[in-house]
Amino acid sequence: VTELSTPRLAPIRLRQGGQSLRERAMDRESPLRRLDWVLVASVASLCVLGCALVYAATKPILLNSGLSPTSYLKKDVLNLVIGVGLAVLASLVDYRTLRAYTPVLYVASILGLLAVLVPHVGVTVNGAHSWINLGGGFEIQPAEFAKIAVILGMAMLLSERREGLTAPTSRDAVLSLAICLPPVLLILAQPDVGSIMVFAFLVFGVLSLSGVSLRWVGGMLAVAVVGVVVIAHLHLLKQYQIDRLTSFTRPGAASQSSGYNANEARIAIGHGGLFGQGLFHGSQVNGGFVPFDYTDFVFSVAGEELGLAGGALLVLLAGIVLWRGLRIARRAEDAFGMLVAVGVVCWFGFQIFENIGMNLGIMPITGLPLPFVSYGGSSMFASMVAVGLLLNVHMRSSR
Amino acid sequence: LTNGSRPRLVVLSVLVISLVGTLLGRLWYLQVPHAAPYRVAASENQVRDIVTQAPRGEVVDDMGRPLINNKTALVVTVNRITLDNLSDQGKAVLHRLAKVLHTSAKTLRSQITLCGPGVHDPNCYGGSPYQPIPVAQLKPTLAATRQALQILEMKENFPGVTARLTAVRNYPKPDHALASSILGFASPISPKQLKRLSQQQQQIEASADTGKAGLEASYERYLHGTPGVKQVAVNSSNAVTRVIKNTRPKTGDTVVTNLDAKAQASLEQDLHSAVLAARGNGHTADFAAGVVLNVRTGGVVAMANYPNYEPDLFSKTLTKKHYKSLAHAEGYPLLDKTYQNAQAPGSTFKLISSLGLIHDGTGSIDQAYDCPSTFQNRHNFDGENGKGYISFQKALIISCDTFFFKLGFQDWQRDNSLINQHKKPVQGVQAMARDLGMGGNPGIDLPGAATGHIADRKNTRLDWEQIKANYCKGAKNPSFSSQHRLDDANYCKYGYIFEPGDQENEDLGQGTVTVSPLQLAVAYSALANGGKVFEPRVAKAIVSPRGRLIKRIKAPIRDHIPVPQSVLDYIRTAMYGVVNDTDGTANGLYKSANFPLNKVLVGGKTGTAELPNSSQDGSWFASFAGPVGGKPQYVTVIEVNKGDQGAITAAPTSIKVWDALYGLQGDKAIFPNGQPPTKLPKLGIAAVKATSTKRHHHAKSNRGSSPTPSSPSSPSTGAAGLPPGLVVRPGTALLRGLS
Repeated sequence: VTELSTPRLAPIRLRQGGQSLRERAMDRESPLRRLDWVLVASVASLCVLGCALVYAATKPILLNSGLSPTSYLKKDVLNLVIGVGLAVLASLVDYRTLRAYTPVLYVASILGLLAVLVPHVGVTVNGAHSWINLGGGFEIQPAEFAKIAVILGMAMLLSERREGLTAPTSRDAVLSLAICLPPVLLILAQPDVGSIMVFAFLVFGVLSLSGVSLRWVGGMLAVAVVGVVVIAHLHLLKQYQIDRLTSFTRPGAASQSSGYNANEARIAIGHGGLFGQGLFHGSQVNGGFVPFDYTDFVFSVAGEELGLAGGALLVLLAGIVLWRGLRIARRAEDAFGMLVAVGVVCWFGFQIFENIGMNLGIMPITGLPLPFVSYGGSSMFASMVAVGLLLNVHMRSSR
Repeated sequence: LTNGSRPRLVVLSVLVISLVGTLLGRLWYLQVPHAAPYRVAASENQVRDIVTQAPRGEVVDDMGRPLINNKTALVVTVNRITLDNLSDQGKAVLHRLAKVLHTSAKTLRSQITLCGPGVHDPNCYGGSPYQPIPVAQLKPTLAATRQALQILEMKENFPGVTARLTAVRNYPKPDHALASSILGFASPISPKQLKRLSQQQQQIEASADTGKAGLEASYERYLHGTPGVKQVAVNSSNAVTRVIKNTRPKTGDTVVTNLDAKAQASLEQDLHSAVLAARGNGHTADFAAGVVLNVRTGGVVAMANYPNYEPDLFSKTLTKKHYKSLAHAEGYPLLDKTYQNAQAPGSTFKLISSLGLIHDGTGSIDQAYDCPSTFQNRHNFDGENGKGYISFQKALIISCDTFFFKLGFQDWQRDNSLINQHKKPVQGVQAMARDLGMGGNPGIDLPGAATGHIADRKNTRLDWEQIKANYCKGAKNPSFSSQHRLDDANYCKYGYIFEPGDQENEDLGQGTVTVSPLQLAVAYSALANGGKVFEPRVAKAIVSPRGRLIKRIKAPIRDHIPVPQSVLDYIRTAMYGVVNDTDGTANGLYKSANFPLNKVLVGGKTGTAELPNSSQDGSWFASFAGPVGGKPQYVTVIEVNKGDQGAITAAPTSIKVWDALYGLQGDKAIFPNGQPPTKLPKLGIAAVKATSTKRHHHAKSNRGSSPTPSSPSSPSTGAAGLPPGLVVRPGTALLRGLS
């Protein structure tokens, strides 16, 4: 600890000889000192809130079935612990080192998506063939990890500048879109409409923010509009997908199963009022009226039991995460870090808005969990890795 | 950072802020200004009422013998929710059940179809869909118990189906007494009745029985009981998550009546014999009615009809055809002829005429009036010779018609001259009839009592105004005979006039005068008891199922006969003369029957009423009796329609009634010394205690022999736990991820 000047680049020094762990941790250049504590605190709050809500949602059903009321809570906490571990890992390895391993991660995620299609390995839940059965009650969703692979891949391609150029060329743009194609096609085969929508938003965001020509931005928007029209005209979506996507425009159609979900979730949220019915006291939740209220409709539990106060807190915490993500992007040391941060913000931003929006009845129903809050290992792990990446970029930025 | 990225980051930031803002706004919108409908929806989602109907209260006679109680029957119920949740909507279950119950699956399906708009099934169920729906009632036989066991033992084959013990109405018919039309019946509440209740009550009462006729209807609020309501929280698949509130059903209260089963049974039997005897003499005798009142209390001791019907007629499934054939059968078995039907009472009405004529001053008990053989071309009954000038007493004893004709004419003349002087006519006989409860509701505690008709100047004109149009048309109808046309033309023109003949007929209980046997009995009771005109009561008290007195019911006194006691004594003496004097119209009969008039003093009046459109007469006898040297205790009115003269058909039946009540011909008296029980019978816990201390050697007591689920200690009819079908099911199916 002799250098007084702040180095422009914070080199990764995992092993500094002769220093104790405490000394290393307290080092001025220690990554811990450069941690975004606001981001950490808000993510931690979301996770704690999530555990409480998952417990509130699963306890009555488990009790009714004569099972241990904490069995889901325990799994949720276990997921969280694993997730924190992944986040630490993702933040400690310098993102510029990670960049070198991006092709490996990318190939691994493609293999995961392919594995889903293998009989007896892939598992179908609610019409989507998206899970890999790991045995022992554990299943993972490779699409979640594919998001990280795509963000890193695109950021890598779009941040490599030719000499004298400040923005990616069209060749870079085409290349970066090309690497998105295999995972997107594989997810379409499952089919997982929610994830596709996240990908669309994420790809658009990363490409736009890379500084690519505005023609690309306009072009992509046009393609999106044409795509929607084509999908609608060629009946490429299955009826249940259309029902889910459109039922939010018909709140009265509660008899259909997807409309029923949305309707009961809205009843739960409306029932909450200003301060809610109290944790564990929501009758909609306890009566099991909102299906999937521990995963995709976890926000309805917050709405009913914690009311406007709790619901708004949840939205604000999610907003803080996005704000810190944008702040990290702005302060990033290089284009790669900025684009990784932007990718994570676009992903989280869309997924949070879509998930809470469908609970509130302003967005179509897709099977997207609420990051950090919903029960589910894959989502938790992927989100935690993404937070780790944000912290990684932050710790290695000079501002 | 690349130059192009910075403004684009700002755009992204704005986008993120607006998305967060949108979510917050929508959240506020749902939870604050628009929360109300969601709150309602949430509360409706969770709470369900499961209703257990209370057994209805019993109806017992004056000695506590049950006329209506409950029996337990194995009632097979089907839970719709459970069936609906099965993959085939319970098709297989209904098929299996149909086999066991020896019916068709189609019938069962229609029985569990909920009534509602668009449902035309007559078997549809009008109750709450959360109630187990009864589909069959099994008799307590070995075969039926086997049927039930098949269901109960193989629950997995019959999800949602249960056989459970339920209280259903039972009619023990003590001493073979029917009293059907007095008891009435209860049946499932009609949609109309249901509509009048509050929303919450509708839920509770939807599967309840309510009294529709007789005592079941008039004491509905006591007999009904309080249904048990179990309020449960249910989840989205209708599985009960917890019991919020549980009130147990409370059995209805017991109605203790003044009826005496033995007196009732013997009166029913006597009327039947009277009809058979009259028919043996060549009379039609299509129906008969009899009333026995306690003159001191106004209580109905017995009230019988012939023809009658079994009291459980309406608790069985009654086809429309069967009902119609009964309703129109000879003698109208479904109509109670004692209080729901009024006929001309003949000379029994002379009691009222005498009182009226004396009261309004047309006649006096101190004077004699002419009893010629004819008056104004009207001759005396049976063409008797004139008896010269006689007193009211004599006129009643020998039943001189011309005596009343003449006085009736004087009465009419006096009223007519009053009218000519623009004064109100007195119409004393009509006023007296009304004071005695005729021409209006007699006020008995049974629904649908006939009012009868007492003609006077006013209602004659009102009637004419209402119906004259028909007669005026008839006068011009070429298909009518010339006589018919002439009659119609006369009524069309002059029908409003209350003619002297109308008054004269009225005083004889003929013409437009009609009264029910009950009304006549009330009038004779008033004479016998010194002037008190009762509104008669069948019920005597309301007692809780445990035997605690809730309310005593006393027959209200609506009026007093507005004549001095001396006049009442005078008329009463005349009535005694009818039976006791050698020239009395009923004396010969009582003598030939060897009636011990030295023990029981009987007074009364015969009546032979000419019937419209018939050559046969209505046979009436109204009488009262009490021990010699004491005051009268009972009134009996007997009517045998188309049954010869009063003295020939009706009066002998009165002898049988007195025989039964007083035990005059070797039989045990129903009421020793003629005293009816004044104390209430011991019921409920009190009765159980009394019988167990009295005869603890005997394992079975009389009352215990009939199964009564309404036994005071445990009125519960349902299983103690949850209703079938509404059971907690594992909710694991809900614990799956949505993709």
